[in-house]
Amino acid sequence: MIEYKDMDYDVVVIGGGHAGIEAALAAARLGKTTAMFVMNMDSVANMPCNPSIGGTSKGHLVREIDALGGQMGLSADQCFVQSKMLNSSKGPAVHSLRAQIDRRKYHAYMKQVLENEQNLDIIQAEVVEIRTEGNKVKEIKTKNGAIYGCKAIVVATGTYLKGKVVIGEVSYESGPDGVFPANELSQSLLNLGIELRRFKTGTPARINVKTMDLSKMEVQSGDEDIQSFSFMNEENKELLSRPQIDCYLTYTNEETHKEIRANIHRSPLFNGSISGVGPRYCPSIEDKVMRFADKERHQIFIEPMGDNTGEMYIQGMSSSLPEEVQKRLYKTVPGLENCRFMRSAYAIEYDAIDSTKLSLGLKYKDIDGLYFAGQINGSSGYEEAAAQGLIAGINAAREIDNLPEFTLDRSEAYIGVLIDDLVTKGTNEPYRMMTSRSEYRLMLRQDNADLRLTEKGHAVGLVSDERYSAFVNKKELIEKELERVASTLIKANDNTNALLESLGSSTIERGTKLAELLKRTEVTYDNTASIDPSRPVLPRSVREQVEIQVKYAGYIKLQQEQIDRFKKLEEKKLSTEIDYEQIKGLSLEARQKLNKQKPTSVGQASRITGVSPADISVLLIYLTQSGKKEV
Amino acid sequence: MLTETIAAISTGGTSSGINIIRISGEKALEIVSKIFTNYAKLDHQKIIYGKIINNNTSTIVDEVLVSCFKAPHSFTGEDVCEINCHGGRKVTLEILKLVIDNGARIAEPGEFSKRAFLNGKMDLSKAEAIIDVINAKTSAQAKVAVNQLSGGIYDKVETVRDMLVTLMAEIEVSIDYPEYDYEEITINKLTERLDLIKKEIDLLIKTHNDGKYIKNGINLAIVGNTNVGKSSLLNTLLNEEKAIVTDIEGTTRDVIEETLIIGNLVLNVSDTAGIRETDDVVEAIGVNKSLKAIDDTDMIIYLIDLSRGLNTRDIELLEKIKGQNKPYIIGLNKVDISREKIEDVKSQLGNHKNIICISSKTGEGIVELKDTIEEIFNISNIDSEESRIIVNERHKDLLEKARNSVIKAKEIAEMGESLDVAAIDIKEATEMLGNITGKNASSDVVNKIFEKFCLGK
Repeated sequence: MIEYKDMDYDVVVIGGGHAGIEAALAAARLGKTTAMFVMNMDSVANMPCNPSIGGTSKGHLVREIDALGGQMGLSADQCFVQSKMLNSSKGPAVHSLRAQIDRRKYHAYMKQVLENEQNLDIIQAEVVEIRTEGNKVKEIKTKNGAIYGCKAIVVATGTYLKGKVVIGEVSYESGPDGVFPANELSQSLLNLGIELRRFKTGTPARINVKTMDLSKMEVQSGDEDIQSFSFMNEENKELLSRPQIDCYLTYTNEETHKEIRANIHRSPLFNGSISGVGPRYCPSIEDKVMRFADKERHQIFIEPMGDNTGEMYIQGMSSSLPEEVQKRLYKTVPGLENCRFMRSAYAIEYDAIDSTKLSLGLKYKDIDGLYFAGQINGSSGYEEAAAQGLIAGINAAREIDNLPEFTLDRSEAYIGVLIDDLVTKGTNEPYRMMTSRSEYRLMLRQDNADLRLTEKGHAVGLVSDERYSAFVNKKELIEKELERVASTLIKANDNTNALLESLGSSTIERGTKLAELLKRTEVTYDNTASIDPSRPVLPRSVREQVEIQVKYAGYIKLQQEQIDRFKKLEEKKLSTEIDYEQIKGLSLEARQKLNKQKPTSVGQASRITGVSPADISVLLIYLTQSGKKEV
Repeated sequence: MLTETIAAISTGGTSSGINIIRISGEKALEIVSKIFTNYAKLDHQKIIYGKIINNNTSTIVDEVLVSCFKAPHSFTGEDVCEINCHGGRKVTLEILKLVIDNGARIAEPGEFSKRAFLNGKMDLSKAEAIIDVINAKTSAQAKVAVNQLSGGIYDKVETVRDMLVTLMAEIEVSIDYPEYDYEEITINKLTERLDLIKKEIDLLIKTHNDGKYIKNGINLAIVGNTNVGKSSLLNTLLNEEKAIVTDIEGTTRDVIEETLIIGNLVLNVSDTAGIRETDDVVEAIGVNKSLKAIDDTDMIIYLIDLSRGLNTRDIELLEKIKGQNKPYIIGLNKVDISREKIEDVKSQLGNHKNIICISSKTGEGIVELKDTIEEIFNISNIDSEESRIIVNERHKDLLEKARNSVIKAKEIAEMGESLDVAAIDIKEATEMLGNITGKNASSDVVNKIFEKFCLGK
């Protein structure tokens, strides 16, 4: 085939999904000429599964992406049709924002953001080959024969690599949502010595709302008081007062389960014709029914795909049963008796890499300039993908500038937990973020993502001056108000005690500091306004920070101590040049695992499976000894 | 971790007139300042005489010598104080407790050495020797498990940990999947389950008292009339075992006692004054002494000179011993010269059990005596079926921390805080128990490393 040389770019991003977008925008915004290759221009920023962004722990990720200067939160704020703060009855650490998104609008909005980015080109072409020179990426080749030179590549192929859709006995090569799969790049990766494995995920059917009886379902509305993902939109009244669309809740029943049991032999997941490893976190309906046989019903959430469409997403009914069985079993569900499918449920298998081959900055350790992000790394979820894309994009740009990798550790961000889990422990199934994966949940709140990460994003160069000055301003307001609350004395008068009594709180006999009162569960910052006359007018986000930081001061201190302990081992750095075969005293397994993964700190080494505490002590001794020799 | 101040009794193994409590870490001097009268004089590389006082009870605990080594010029490279006290397990433990109460924690086995390494205070050869021991530990993990944590206790701790993990999972599911129709655990259910868990942990902590038999040894008194051969029995027992009467991990014992190992048991054997037969006053003292020995000890060997037979005092004392419900063995000594009297004496002893004919001189019956001691402690006093005994101070410490976290979680739940806040302490408790069984993914694994090492060496 004829090849021709086209342009040279600094960074090439393969894939235009949620990982690819963040990677491409980050690289371009850091001044690198960037090309983002997509299989289909109309599938950029597609949501082939549920039409929502955020949710427990994923909402945290979006806020963190935003604080670092990423795009996802800003775009989601523009395109939501419903917004809800989950867990709002629980502690602030686990509040999580989730928004239903108009997926076509999101696609269009994101595409335009990408188009408008100075240094970025979007190109519809299938990348079929990655070429290296020495140990470094050199260029890529498209199916049409175009060669693009590049200094760094971010591979963000999602579920497209050798994508195979399975619906019952039917299976065919396909990417998600009927887009072509990328069948040739896998071989190129194998040629580079990169091992591949098969992962699997799935999605439910889409149904036209006019064939559903919504009156048989429970209405699920959004919040009245909407909050934004992006810290830039905190006070954007117009955006946050948009009309919302409802979701609906219905349930499976014994009929549904009977239908599944009668046809389970036709499920490729159960008869063995799918080999990919599927996620425990979002099992298919047949999986749920078979594994939890005594559960009488399963929840089914009906989510609109957008503002201007009658297409509804049937969350909870993902399936790889034959289409005719799907249709029968969907019809057993109240409200869906006469439903007609617009798109069928399917399972999809795809190639993924072993994520332990990556550095904490998501660089493939054996090849310079090669980065991986998103589902190809074994994760699942748009937010997980976007988070990785952002980090990979930043580091692709930094490598070109000879700057050290930008990484976040487990005590700094959910992004840090996500990447450390993937890279250090690896995963044998599509990995989903969960708040329980974080050791320092009380510190890694979604409300303080900006306080945790804006400085870092600014140092990297992704945070705009506008965002940064707003942040500095907010931070000052919080600090000032914290000081004021700590020093303000609330008098023990009738007025005060009447208020306390009305809140169900015990009265005070002596003047008490406002900060002390705020520590009581039933007393809040907002409900003490009447006894605190010197209180300044402050934005909601500032009031919220003050309240949380005062109320949870004790726990925050405790957690900070845990973090300090954790940091000690993280700060003991290990060179990637160390040959662990040469370290006397390490167990055989540890030598192999450490040589394979080359951790960058003793802390990271301690989280590698197969590395024992005894091995860690040997490493510490080795470090002390080698440190001495150098001196 | 490394910033915590640690303390332990650093003498041990053989009996000595002095015990040393070593304290290492940032707070070492601060702690000593709170309990040592002559703190003002203390300085680097000085040894100062003074008194240890318990400020809570305003009592003097002991007269001691305290030495001080300031970082980095100390064994561990940190601030180190050593309190030299007058032996005696009770006093030593009381001082250690004061040190702990004032901010130190019990050192883990080998932790002083570990700190020495990490602070670059050991040379390569020593370091390599330690590496070898670490490896020995790794390959002999099963053995360590037997030594440190019997199978029964391991299972028990794991069971309790599993209860916590299950509870965690139930809380977490409601956090990570708030909209799903899993029943959220109620405050009542939560506190109920935490109570149950606390009870289980309490039971485990209680076994520490049984465990002290193993850790600190069983106090065994040899009682009997003068010249029945008590001392020679002691010597016979000791002579045979002397070779292994050393290096018991973390054991501390009273200076006046001799230490003896039989099977898995460590015995602190004391030789009591014999009972005088003539002078009334002295006789009374003798009897009192013997009675006191009987009160204080865990087990008694009552020795009778078979050639002389029983007297009325023997009968009286044996009845008293029997009434105390303590294990005892009646040794009929000098069987080699008076075998013909066995039946007669045995019939006089009536329904007393564990009667063994021995000869300190020829060694006859000594094996049977030891077997009986072992049998008594393995079968009656220690729940051998489950072996639920917490032996290790560190394990006890972790259990107590776990219990405190469980209590705190319960308080938080009762205060009306949300589940995710209570979860912090539940997780902490889980990690503490995981540190006992070695089953945790927490990052501060290093604290568990040098377990194999002797405490305070």
